[in-house]
Amino acid sequence: MEITVEAIVFLVFSAITLGGALQVVLTRNLFHAALYLMLSLFGVAGLFVLLTAPFLAGAQVVIYIGAITILIIFAIMLTPQVTRVLKVHHTQWPVALALAALLFVGLVWTQTPLADELGADGWSADFTVEDPADVPADSLTDLGKSLVDPERYMLPFEAASLLLMAALIGAVLLVNRPDDNPDAEAAPAAGARPDQSG
Amino acid sequence: MVPLWMYLVVAAGLFCIGLFGVLTRRNAIAILMSIELMLNAVNINLVAFWRYQTPDKIGGQVFAAFVFVVAAAEAVVGLALILAIYRRRRTVIAEDVDMLKW
Amino acid sequence: MNFSTDVQANGVAILPEILMTVLAVTVLALDAFGPKSRRRELGYLAGIGLLVVAVMVWLIGQWPERELSDQLVLGGMIRHDALAQIFRTMVILAGALSCLISMGVPRLKIRGDYYALLIVAVIGASLMSAAADLIMVFIALETASITLYLLAGYLRDDDRSTEAGLKYFLFGAFTSAILLYGMSLLYGFTGETNLYLLGNWMAINGPPDAPVVLALALIAVGFGFKISAVPFHFWTPDVYEGAPTPITALLSTASKAAGFGLLLRFLMAVFPPPELVNAFDVHDYSQFWVQLIAVLAVVTMSLGNVLALVQQNIKRLLAYSSIAQAGYVLIGVAAISTDRSGDGVAAAAFYLFMYVLTNILAFGVVILFANATGSEQIADFGGLARRSRGLALAMTVALLSLAGIPPAAGFIGKFLLFRAAVDANLVWLALIGVVNVIIGLYYYLVIVKVMYMNPAPDDAAPIPVSAPYRWALWLTAVGVILLGTVAVTPLLDWATDAAHALHVLI
Repeated sequence: MEITVEAIVFLVFSAITLGGALQVVLTRNLFHAALYLMLSLFGVAGLFVLLTAPFLAGAQVVIYIGAITILIIFAIMLTPQVTRVLKVHHTQWPVALALAALLFVGLVWTQTPLADELGADGWSADFTVEDPADVPADSLTDLGKSLVDPERYMLPFEAASLLLMAALIGAVLLVNRPDDNPDAEAAPAAGARPDQSG
Repeated sequence: MVPLWMYLVVAAGLFCIGLFGVLTRRNAIAILMSIELMLNAVNINLVAFWRYQTPDKIGGQVFAAFVFVVAAAEAVVGLALILAIYRRRRTVIAEDVDMLKW
Repeated sequence: MNFSTDVQANGVAILPEILMTVLAVTVLALDAFGPKSRRRELGYLAGIGLLVVAVMVWLIGQWPERELSDQLVLGGMIRHDALAQIFRTMVILAGALSCLISMGVPRLKIRGDYYALLIVAVIGASLMSAAADLIMVFIALETASITLYLLAGYLRDDDRSTEAGLKYFLFGAFTSAILLYGMSLLYGFTGETNLYLLGNWMAINGPPDAPVVLALALIAVGFGFKISAVPFHFWTPDVYEGAPTPITALLSTASKAAGFGLLLRFLMAVFPPPELVNAFDVHDYSQFWVQLIAVLAVVTMSLGNVLALVQQNIKRLLAYSSIAQAGYVLIGVAAISTDRSGDGVAAAAFYLFMYVLTNILAFGVVILFANATGSEQIADFGGLARRSRGLALAMTVALLSLAGIPPAAGFIGKFLLFRAAVDANLVWLALIGVVNVIIGLYYYLVIVKVMYMNPAPDDAAPIPVSAPYRWALWLTAVGVILLGTVAVTPLLDWATDAAHALHVLI
């Protein structure tokens, strides 16, 4: 691989992604962890741009960074004392580290040019592709159409809408429900707290 | 372009960092954040495979888009449960939720 | 391979899901806008509605089978075959019965939103039984799981319930991320998302064993959680104990059955035995998962049974018992054979069907007992036979079935599983299964002994049984006995059809 501009950009985004992720799992302060999570997710969005998936990059910024992390930050601020806890990791972290490292080695071994060591000639050829075919110009249109086409991805799309509805109803019920007491059922929800979950 | 395997290594790294976080963090919100990292690793994998192997078939991108949707639903539900617990017990340290405990 | 483009066939394939969605929305609307005094009847609406859908699925299942290419409907997202029908019937039936037994729980019975969420969970489980595409598998799995996290934590003023919900959520989200990573690797190896195309490609083009085994291991974690196989069972006792009891019943039946339905289809489609691939010189990855599943079966049933021996709380005991039962079903999954009548898939489907009825029956009695006495301790079941002969009898039927004693259905179920294992040259596995059944006899029969021999507490009063309960308990108890006697052949025929549906040449 030559050192091209693209390669440098790739390395920068990868470093942001992985560095941010490491901080998320290591840092003591939860609020900082959430900010690092934003950084890491931003790096992933950059990788999506490099992979010619601008729609997903945009969705990453809007959904992940704009919605999910903000939600997480809300939750962190609504549960204040947790940021003051001193012991943030379980004591058996060496076991977890060994597990994660083992899995990483396994994944790298099977998905990089090292994979040819496994005996199947040319297996890693799939993974060393450097010049894939161009993305069709109407790729984005195709993505949109495929989601509402009964012959393609309509069913999961509909099921996902059902899932979102259920998640919404359930979440609202959990954090903002008047009272569990059946006798108080008819009473107005005067005692209910305002919904703070965002 | 950068060879495909480099993206896969980044995804594998991100996944394993997330895995480590889930197994070691004691706070439920921190565990949730680590899970989000793992889901992002999945998405890097999906998009990279799509781009390098079958850019003419949209499957990989559709899959990644669904991962977004589910991640959002999971985050909402998870945080709602966390807040419900916090209101009663003033803590979200997942003492009992030790992921490696037998 | 072409997917069916027949609009009518596509419609029939998801008719149950469409009807259930309408039912969920109706329940929600009536909860919001209907008369408050009649809210209690929402449980009837949900329960009987689901029951009707279950019967309808069963009727659709009686239609003649069609060609494979016609069965892969809606762009190959789901496969409309006998396996899907039998598992869908199970999970919808489990949902219906859970609705009925929810009507005895004071804090749940008048909540329309609770029934609506329960129906959405059943829709997810039902789609899981039919899903034939990685994307659909993922969405169906999450639809079922996320609603179940919410339902497990539904009693938000009860510490145990919210903690159960959170614990279930954290484990579930974690393992589904691992499963998803495995699925992304499968997609990467092949460029396909359809399970059947994917499996065909892998068998013919044969990636090396190591990456495939790695992906298989990641996927096994996700499925292992869903069916609570050891070592992914940590969450089970706490969540089963803490969740509202009807949801525990649903978790241990619908969720588990759908997990097994999906597991069977996934393994057979993605890593098919060589006989099922229409080509020469194909790669056989099935050997890996057969070994993996056999090992999981041994540890799951042994650990489940041993830990069940020491439990004092009936819900925890049933949790460990359900782990052990999952271990027995895994024997059937491992005992897959493509050319014999004594087939593991058929045995597993039969076993799960009767297990669904049995477990709902057991949990139904537990709810009634807990409502009347406020206790979930086994010791407090003393003298139940004198306090309520019907309840004691119902519990006895459930326990005999779980233990595997005729005439309850559990005996035939276990016999079929072990026969399938012997036919598949896994005699050692069948023997370990038999040893486990003997261990299990002890703790199941202890409860029977407590109910009939031990004295009742001094303040014991008869336990009232309300109408929806009487219905649910009668239905399941009679079902368990029938499935162990005269109804064995029809159900086994159906289960065998389901097994054949998986044994198709791709």
